[in-house]
Amino acid sequence: MSFRPSCDPLASSSSSNTWSPLVQRLEQEQEQRQRQQQPRGGGTMVPPSQYGIKYAVHIISSHFGDLVAKVCECLLRRGPLTHRNIVRFMEISASQVKNCLLVLIQQNCVQAFSVEHPGGDEDESRRSTEYMAVFDNIIHRMRFPKFVAVVSQELDKECVELFQGLLQHGRLTLEKMIDRAKSGQEDCPAQDATRETLSKLINARFVERCPDPEPHLSPPSEEEGRARKRTKFSKVAAEPQTIEERVLAAAAPMEAKRFLTIFHTTTEEDGQKTECSFPGVGEKRKCDALESDKELGSDGSQVLWRVNVQEFMHRFRHKACVENVRERLDGGAAVALNAMLETSRSMEKKVKTDNAGPLTINTIYEEVMKGEAGRAMTLDHLRASLVMLGCERGTDESYQIDLKNIIELAQNEEVESVVLKRYGREAYRIFRLLSKANRLIETDKISSTAFVDKTETSKILFRLWKDEFLHMEKVVVTGPRQTQFLLWKVNKSTLWPHVLDEMYHAALNLNLRVAYELEKENELLNLPIEKRSGPLEKRYNRLRTVRLLLESSLMKLDDAIMLFHDF
Amino acid sequence: MICCCSNEVLTMSKRKRPDLKVPAPYMTEQEKILYNLIQSKQDLGIWSWDIKRETSLPDNVVDKSLKSLRSKLLIKEVVNVQFKGRKHYLASEFEPSSEITGGKWYNDQGFLETEFINFLKDQCLKHIRNLKIATVDTVANAVRRSRVLKIDCSSQEIGDIVRALVLDNDVIEMRSNGLGEFASVPTGRMCYKCRRSPDAMKEPRVGVMAWIPCGVCPRIARCMPGGTISPMTCEYYSKWLDF
Repeated sequence: MSFRPSCDPLASSSSSNTWSPLVQRLEQEQEQRQRQQQPRGGGTMVPPSQYGIKYAVHIISSHFGDLVAKVCECLLRRGPLTHRNIVRFMEISASQVKNCLLVLIQQNCVQAFSVEHPGGDEDESRRSTEYMAVFDNIIHRMRFPKFVAVVSQELDKECVELFQGLLQHGRLTLEKMIDRAKSGQEDCPAQDATRETLSKLINARFVERCPDPEPHLSPPSEEEGRARKRTKFSKVAAEPQTIEERVLAAAAPMEAKRFLTIFHTTTEEDGQKTECSFPGVGEKRKCDALESDKELGSDGSQVLWRVNVQEFMHRFRHKACVENVRERLDGGAAVALNAMLETSRSMEKKVKTDNAGPLTINTIYEEVMKGEAGRAMTLDHLRASLVMLGCERGTDESYQIDLKNIIELAQNEEVESVVLKRYGREAYRIFRLLSKANRLIETDKISSTAFVDKTETSKILFRLWKDEFLHMEKVVVTGPRQTQFLLWKVNKSTLWPHVLDEMYHAALNLNLRVAYELEKENELLNLPIEKRSGPLEKRYNRLRTVRLLLESSLMKLDDAIMLFHDF
Repeated sequence: MICCCSNEVLTMSKRKRPDLKVPAPYMTEQEKILYNLIQSKQDLGIWSWDIKRETSLPDNVVDKSLKSLRSKLLIKEVVNVQFKGRKHYLASEFEPSSEITGGKWYNDQGFLETEFINFLKDQCLKHIRNLKIATVDTVANAVRRSRVLKIDCSSQEIGDIVRALVLDNDVIEMRSNGLGEFASVPTGRMCYKCRRSPDAMKEPRVGVMAWIPCGVCPRIARCMPGGTISPMTCEYYSKWLDF
């Protein structure tokens, strides 16, 4: 039996397609294998990769020391553990483990939770406390300067200072914030100012209440039953969550409480009563203070506040989308998209929202006009930009945009750029062909569509496959003579985590190189300025340039890490 | 067929068909066996090693018979684009299939007509830029009207070239929604637009990862602190930081 590729899966011709049933069968088998390989419990939270863990451990080590980093590594590699098990694995004293855990919890890098273990036949079930590393929060520590930059653009200096304190200490009560502001003196203006500053941060959603310090996690069977009841009449089955997702969901404060701020009860100047009136002015002011302090927790109820990372992720995701559109299309499209995102941000419930909108043209235009870049934009120009963006248009001239698609395009560009630089232009064309096709294609077809010589095509494909950029399937056709065909595909579900792992690796390398360069010139750095002259000054300037390059590269690389992990 | 581009002339092979009215020349028994085998393979032809394997004739007999058949113009040797070093034989009355020749974009020697392809790419890009929004048909018509080619390239061939421009990221591919700049294109039709202005840089924007040494390093998988390859001793880093 001969088996020749007589079809052209990429052309629009109507020639017979002898390949497609075979290719379809292969794809179905592959999808089935991938489903079987998925971790039990499903969920959307992916466990950290090898270099993700190494990078996280390096961050903890540089911020809090090696011992804390070792405890963190133990939790990252082994998953949630009890205090006793950590001591057992680490072979250090219980008190050392406890101190390390306290530091990590304080800095939001570890979340405790209690879980019930069913007993045996005659034993009662017992409850234990386990500790879980929060990988995302560890990586977010590298983004603190970016968070500060956002706050300083939108709020005043006092807000920035208070915000920096929260970043430094991880979580604080209002009392601690006031103490920090005025070194513990009982000073009414300092208290009011701090309260007001905190309110501003909360209202801007930059700060939130801390999660429950030790939520209880019901056994999986109970929770699954509840989930099944909830989804009894829903068409889509509830996706089972990983233990990390369950813990974080259980710990999170209710949405209504998360940003609950002080309740202002200011009176009019002529003494008219407001909605919330109190018996006398003096008593009223005292009650106001007590009420507000109770909300903000300075009455000793220990309400802890921390940075709301989700808000920053939202903003960074929007910024990434706008910048991608600006580079890919033009400034007008970027202005239009920015306006849509600004308008719809408050409605977004989660960071990874698929769409923005639908929004009417007038709503978008109002937002466009607010910005300097949009003031010269006419309504027709806005319409043309929205069309260029590929927005879905409703009957009432409302527009909706697929953000997920923009993020995917940005991710594609990032990976294609690596392929171009690492493997050359022909490999770039081949990779783009396979990435766009999103299905298995045979070697000869790749060669003819990408206009790459056949022997060169095979070499490039093998190189890309060896470095895990491509997936390969072999088809053996038996007959009078056995013939082997090779089919290739870009499998994003395995490639994207691989790329992300390389990014973590590169970020770790940048950090290590900075440390190495600084250590190499340690004596020079310790020299007084007046002694740094001639060749020493030259070396110092070189070191400064090197450090700036490495650290700015790290910040840019972190944007790419967010693109693949957080957006 | 001859294609003219700039001041150079590129030739594509002329393929003759044998005169079937001339009676077949005399063949020995071995030659008949070989000829029948080669003819049965039609436009795919057969490799000399496969001939020897399938006929089980001694090597010297096969070689001699093949030489004789070639001199009688009953068979011809063609280049297999996938295995350029192999001797591949076809019966004279058949034209080699695209699987053997590589298709319309390969020359007789089995090499890609790179210069011609690049020329066509430049022409198509120029027309897409002029048209602002173009379909394959409008680009093909524009190329024909420009008369830069002495031969006619079909719309499918121009489509192949345009899709190669998409792979090069010089051109963006979109479906028309019939609105705005797509008003002249029927809804749902695939159309093309230049990705950047002629003054912009030729290369696509460099991604963040590709900009740092680790991003382009082929040995990143083996790099680790204290290892043979490490960020502290990396040559790529040293060059990058050589101020």
